[in-house]
This record gives sequence, structure tokens and C-alpha cells, in this order.
Amino acid sequence: MTTQAGPRINPVDDFVRDELYPGYKQDFGSQPFVAGPVRPFSKADNARYWLRDSLHFSEGMVPASIATLDDAQTWGAQLGAEIVGVPPTRGSVNRLAGTHVYIGTIDVDTDWQIQSRANRFGEYVGPILADFDRYWAMRAGELQSAYDHFDNLDLTGMNPGQLWATVKDAYAFHRRAWFIHFEVMYVLTANYLAFYQLAEEIGLGGSVVSALLAGEQTFYSKTDEELWKLAGRARDLDVTAPLRHADPADMRGQIEALPKGRTWWGEFEEFLRTYGWRMEETCRVDTPSWVEDPAPALYTIGTFLSKPDSFDFHAARQLAVAERDDQIEAARRAVNGSDLQRFNEALASNQAANFAWWNEEHNYLIDRRAAIPVRRASLELGARLAAEGRIDRPDDLFFLFKPELFAVMEGGAARWPDLAAMIPDRRAYFEHWRERGPELPTMLGTIPDVVPDPIMIEVFGLSGHFLETLKRGPADVTELRGFPASKGVVEGVARVITTVTDISKVQPGEILVCGGTTTEWTPVFGIIKACVCDTGGSLTHAAIVSREYGIPCVVGTAAATQTIKTGDRVRVDGRQGTVQVLASQVS
Amino acid sequence: MTADAETAGPPAAGAAVLDLGDIRITDSYRVGPKVARLGHLAAAGWPVPDGYAVTADALGRWLPAAARAELARLFAVPSDAPDTLHRLSVLAQGIIESHPLPPWLAEAVEQAHERLRQRTGRGQRLRVAVRSSAISEDGASASFAGQYATFLGVGDVADVLRRIRECWASGFTAHALHYRRRAGDDQLHAHDLAVGVLELVDVRSAGVVFTLDPVTGDRERMVVEANWGFGESVVSGQVTPDQWVVDKASGRVLERTVGAKQVWSAFDPAAGGVVLAPLPADLAARPCLDDDEVRYLCAKAAEIEAQEGVPQDVEWAIARDTPLPASVFILQYRPETAWATAPDPDPAPAPAPGKAFDPVQYALRHVFKVPGR
Repeated sequence: MTTQAGPRINPVDDFVRDELYPGYKQDFGSQPFVAGPVRPFSKADNARYWLRDSLHFSEGMVPASIATLDDAQTWGAQLGAEIVGVPPTRGSVNRLAGTHVYIGTIDVDTDWQIQSRANRFGEYVGPILADFDRYWAMRAGELQSAYDHFDNLDLTGMNPGQLWATVKDAYAFHRRAWFIHFEVMYVLTANYLAFYQLAEEIGLGGSVVSALLAGEQTFYSKTDEELWKLAGRARDLDVTAPLRHADPADMRGQIEALPKGRTWWGEFEEFLRTYGWRMEETCRVDTPSWVEDPAPALYTIGTFLSKPDSFDFHAARQLAVAERDDQIEAARRAVNGSDLQRFNEALASNQAANFAWWNEEHNYLIDRRAAIPVRRASLELGARLAAEGRIDRPDDLFFLFKPELFAVMEGGAARWPDLAAMIPDRRAYFEHWRERGPELPTMLGTIPDVVPDPIMIEVFGLSGHFLETLKRGPADVTELRGFPASKGVVEGVARVITTVTDISKVQPGEILVCGGTTTEWTPVFGIIKACVCDTGGSLTHAAIVSREYGIPCVVGTAAATQTIKTGDRVRVDGRQGTVQVLASQVS
Repeated sequence: MTADAETAGPPAAGAAVLDLGDIRITDSYRVGPKVARLGHLAAAGWPVPDGYAVTADALGRWLPAAARAELARLFAVPSDAPDTLHRLSVLAQGIIESHPLPPWLAEAVEQAHERLRQRTGRGQRLRVAVRSSAISEDGASASFAGQYATFLGVGDVADVLRRIRECWASGFTAHALHYRRRAGDDQLHAHDLAVGVLELVDVRSAGVVFTLDPVTGDRERMVVEANWGFGESVVSGQVTPDQWVVDKASGRVLERTVGAKQVWSAFDPAAGGVVLAPLPADLAARPCLDDDEVRYLCAKAAEIEAQEGVPQDVEWAIARDTPLPASVFILQYRPETAWATAPDPDPAPAPAPGKAFDPVQYALRHVFKVPGR
């Protein structure tokens, strides 16, 4: 590592550790890695770039979630990239700063490997794109049948051997689900990026492409629509007051005390049976699903109720679809001849295998659901261990690493008293880092001039402009530039939010400023005026959802959460991709 | 059921179906040249799939007289407007679908099918290809190749009967009507179509031999195009096949090109037939023939060309797990229209979708920027 004047470095030195948590070193070889497991930072990592993934993991990881992270963004991505044969990247790799997740890429840098991967890629991706419906139906069917199995198990009725087997099955399934995730993701992003580049080549500009693919119904847009209907039912049945004002913990009691409250709650539970199998973050086995704790769903219903007169779900959707179709027609009028033919074919290929749709749809089957079987079986096991006095409370189990748990359950050298003794320190460690989360840098290591992996550019927004802004460092600027994700110009008051758990602080009519959004943020798009994100490209959640809700959005600004303060008056131009601070709160 | 008893007048009921062994080249006018040539090859001892044919005469009168009159009325008015053709097509299909095959025809097919089961020794496991065989197909004035339906992998007799009727109905699709209009059929009367029912070979690889270079017309060279699985993926243009160029005089293989084979036509038990499916990755990069097979296919095709006197397209299949040469089956052959005597070289096969933009190759070249792509 040389320190030249050129590249800017945010040193990882403060985060260098031997251990992942107090008392735990990642045991190499405990996982069947393609390229490399989740690790703490080491000095050598200063030579690479590391992007904070607050998009998927905003609050940090408990030890048990590091196993699920290993299976997901680490191993799953590496195996997916290997099997699909993505030419420039062998997938992503993760480091932890404290308990917080950073993501890096593994570039392929020899000609022979790039060529041989390109051959593989053509053979693998072509047939899947040619028949994507059938292919995805097969994969989705596999996932759904696993959920039918796990969701219907009588965990409390199992003997200890059966329960432990279920824990192991749940982990095995989680790993499989994440291979599927990255296999499909790499295939679809290639299709999307080809369309994007074609649009650049024929003069349409790549930034129009995702708008041309918007408006398809997903399981989550159906979920939001069902919540919107439940808000309507709450008005019909006169139970709106608790939904708007009560603390989520007492909400059920207050609703059921009303004359028609039990009817409404029954309908809500019916909704949860279909739509409630989702957690708020990815891989976080320490967080409940809606079935366990429906507070996020109740909050969303309250959000819909707080804007009784304005937001119309159907109208917004129809408008989005009509606008998309208009844009497709406009694009067709703008190109001719063989360019038009190529455009039509690329559009058809992307409509049939639509990343913009899948990027939202798959969360229900994978990101927000795959860890639920692990969580449920672990909590039942934890309850029994707590009853036996081995640990204090069921969720203590989440503060053991998977290899520790497997060793103690399968007669290895580990002993319960030793493991249990570490848990209080680990809880404190998690809390310590949870508090430090908002102050962690967006990027660590060497900020590159260019990122070769197009997926990192489109999904995480690592464009040249983004990297430039990061290199300049925190600066006293009044205008930010980013990717123009959804058109429109508005002025308003900013609300800076760094974690989804703070989402209820957002007031109707505010402009949301955040690191990035995921599915769990979707409800807030019904009340905000505009959205501004640090990270993200044309394919990110905030870009897609803003278009569907018809609000301006700028992503990939690199520094919005550091530059803008809650209460600032800002102007968002979603066509130019600019955000201006008009009046700052800070004196 | 001898062939020469029916040279004039309406055929007797017994001639509704002919076994392949009884078919000669002179039966073209009632089973179509495609099936007639197969019968001719079989009689000469060539390896062809066994089968039978439902004659055009029988199919011409399977509908009750009233329904036939109704069809005739539909097509009495000459029109080429696409919406009119579409409307006529819908009306015609409705008439056809409302009538089952009459017992005299169904029974003749059932009996022929039972004979075929016995001859092949496959019994109930027999699967067949049900192919349209137009009487005027491959004629000098127009080529109807690809206009009529074919069904691969049909299992039981009830399905065979259904597919025979669908083959016949495929002559009334708007596309086929339009085609016949262009070919000079002033009045859109009912078409002359026979149906061949042929044993489905357990295919490993299949394709076409052109006894001249189809691009340059060079008669010194032969070209073999092939893919894994049934030949439909090759003849329909749905795949970039493996290709070999062979010197006709020496039999030497001059060029070998492994195609970017992304799909194949494979038997799908769930669908009960042959479907276009993604090609397993381990097969995609491998050539589907070895040089011995390529040379043998070319030698056989050259024999057919010598016998016919003009260049030919020869469709063939190679059976799974069978040593050469017993593995090779000739499925059909026809004059090479583009470079032969035909004044109207209509390319005929339905255009393959998505030729101008391949997302995979485009991504490799322009997104991942792989050198040399």
C-alpha cells in the first residue's frame, strides 16, 4: 500500500480487529466459500474500496445474523457470479466495521478469465432470458414450497432431535434461497444493462430505461394496496382513532374495545396470514416478522389515514402506467429504422424478463423472508434452553455465532456456561455499534476513480460523479448532484432519516433525505413530497417507487445526509438530478 | 389397399389411410410429396421412421356436406384484406372445431395406429409425430413450408385424432390463407392437405444437410446444420445451429462452427409433447455430431441428390444410444428451392423472433466490455 497524492483514502484502521465480536474469530473453512467469508477489516483492506451497505443492514448485525449474511450477500453472490459467469466480477465480499456491513467487489482481472467467463455467461444467460417466465416460476415454486413446509411446522410439539433438525434445515434453505437470488439477479441485470446501453447508443439516454419498465404489479405493491384497503375499512368500521394515535403496543387493545374493532382486527389478521411473512431488514434474524409484530403494517395504515383526502392508490398506479406507456411511445417516435427494431426487441426482452419488477418482487420470496424459518426455529430452541437455565432469554441465542451453536448442540468442545458468559458483552457490543451507525463513513479504503462492475454502478450508484463527490469529502456546498431518478421539481422541508426504524418521524409533505431506501420504506412514499438518497442508481428501490408514486427523486448524491439537516428548506429537481439547500436550519 | 385402384373418382373408404410400406412416389397426389418420398425411401431400404398417412381425399370429405358447403361459401368472395382473412379464419376454425372426425375415418386411423404399434414393437409406449403434408407443398410455384401445423411426441390415439384435425384446420389460419392468396389461389377454397403419422425417433441430434452451399450456391460444398434434440429448433430458425462445411468430392470436413445453441426441441413429459426449452449448459458448448456422423450424413444426402438429379435439403435425425450407421434416420427431403429451378424462391419459414438485438451478446460487448466480442 503506497500513499500517493492521488487516491483519497478513508482508512479502515479504526475498525481493524482480529475478532468479529468479543470472543469470536471467524473460523476459516467453516463455510464452503467460493472466494471469501465475512471478516473484520484488516490493514490490507485499505487498498480496496468498501461501501457501507446501510441499504440492506442499517442497524448492524448480531452474531447469528452474520451466518445469514455469510450465506446471502457473501457466499450467495460469489456462487451466483461464478455459476452465471459474470465477466467482470466474482461477486461481492463483506467486511464488518464493528457490527456494520460494508460491501466490496472481487474484480476479475486477467484476460483469460474474462474470456472464459464471457463464454459461460452466454451459454447460461441466453436460455434463461429466452424463457424467463417458466424459469422464474420454477425458482419461485421451489421457494414457496419450502415456505409451505417451514411455516406449517408445529415447532412447540417437536422433540429435541426434530427441532434441531429443523434449525439445520432452515439454515440450509436460507443458503439455497440466496443462491437463487443472485443467480436471477445477475441474469436480469445483464438484460437490463444491455437495454440501458442500447438506449445510450441510439440517443435515448439510459436514464429513461427504468421508467419504461415501471408499473408492473408486485407482491409488495399488492401488499400496499391491501393496506390501503384496510385503511378504507378502518373508516367504514370507525376504528381510525387508535390507528392514527395509539402506541403500537396498545393498538390492538384499543381497536378491539371499539364496537366494530374485532371485525376490523379479524380482517387485519387475515391480511397478515398472506402478506405478513416479511421482516424489516435482510438477514436480520433478530428482527420480527409482521406475523410476530405487525407494528410496521399498522403504521402504514395510519399513514394512509393521515392523508385521507389526497392519496388515491389506484389513481397513482394508473397514472404511472399511463405515463410509462406514453414514454414508450415517445421513445419509439424518437428512433428510426434498425434502431427502432433493436429498441423494440430490447424492450420486449426486458418486459419479459423485467429487472425493475423482479427487484421489488423477489424481496417477498427471498430478502425479507428467507431468514424467518431460521428465526422461528431458533426462538423455539432458545425458549427451551432458557427454560433449562442454559441462557437467560430466548433471543440470547442470536448472540451466538452459528458455528458456536452447532458445536454445542452437536457435542463439540463448546460448553453452555462459557458461551452464555459472553452474551452480555456481545449485547453491549451490538448496542455500542448500533449507536455509532449513523456516523460511519459511506465508503472506506481507497476511493477508486472508476468502478468496473456495472452492477455496483446501477444498484448501489457508484458512478463517477458519486466517487468524485466522496473524494472531495464533506464540503460546505449548497447544491448536490445525483442521478435523476424521477422527474418533477418541488421545494419543501427536509427530514433526514438514517434507519428505517425512525421512519415514523417523517411528517406528511416533508422531503425525505436518507442513505437509501428498501421495501420497508415504501409506505412513506405515500406522504412525502420528494426523496433524496446518498446511494443508488437507476435500479434502486427509491428510484422505482418514486416513479410509481409520482414524486421527484434524486439518488446517488453521495453526501445528502451529511450536507442536509432536518428542517432545511431544499429544492429537488428530479429531471436535472439536483438538490439545492435554500435555507439551512443550522445557524 | 393397393395404390392403383384409386386413380379416378372418389376413393373408397378403405383408402382413407395408407401404411408407409404401401406408399410409393406416385402417391404424392394423395399423401403429399413429403410422405410419398419417405415411402419411396422405405421401399428402397433406407432407414426412415415407420408410419401411415391420412389421405387428402379422406380429409377433403371428412366434414359433413353442410359444413363443407358453409366453408365453400365463406371463401367464395375473393379478398386479401388482413381483417377479412382473420375473420374468415375465425369462422372456418369454428366450423372445423365443432365437428369430430367421422367414425369411418377415426376407425381407419385407429386400425392403422394399432398396426404401427405392432410393427414398431413399442405397443402403448409408441409416440408419433403428426405432420401436415400439403399436396402442393414444395412445388415449383410456391413453397408452403412452415405454414401448416406439426405435432411431435403425440402418445395416445385420441390425441392423434385430435392432432390430425388440427393439422387440417391449420390450413385455415389467417397466415396460411394469406400465403395461399399470394401464391395465386384466386378463390380461397379448401386446401389439399394430407397428414402423415410417423414413429417419433428417440432423437439425440437432428438437423438438415444442404447438398449445396445454401448461401453461395456452390455445388462443390455441402453444409450440415444441426442441434441437440429434435430438428424443429433448426428448421424453424430458433437456434444458431452447429455447422459443418464438407467438400462434396472428398468428403473432407472443411469447416466446423459450434453454434451459440441456447435452446433445443426436447420431449417434455409434462407438456406431453416436444417443446422448445433452454439447452442444458453442458450440451450448449459441445458440437452435437462427430466428424464420422457428418461425413456419413453427407454421403447419404449426396445419394439422394444423385437419385433426384437436383440439389436437395435433407432432414435427418440421429437416434440416441445407437451405433452408426443404424442411428441415422432420413425424415424428409425436398429440392433446394433457392438455387434450384424454382422461379419464385420464397424463403418461407416463419421469421425467427428477435434477430436484431441479442441482450446477451450486447451485454458482453457493451456493458461488460469483454475484449473481442
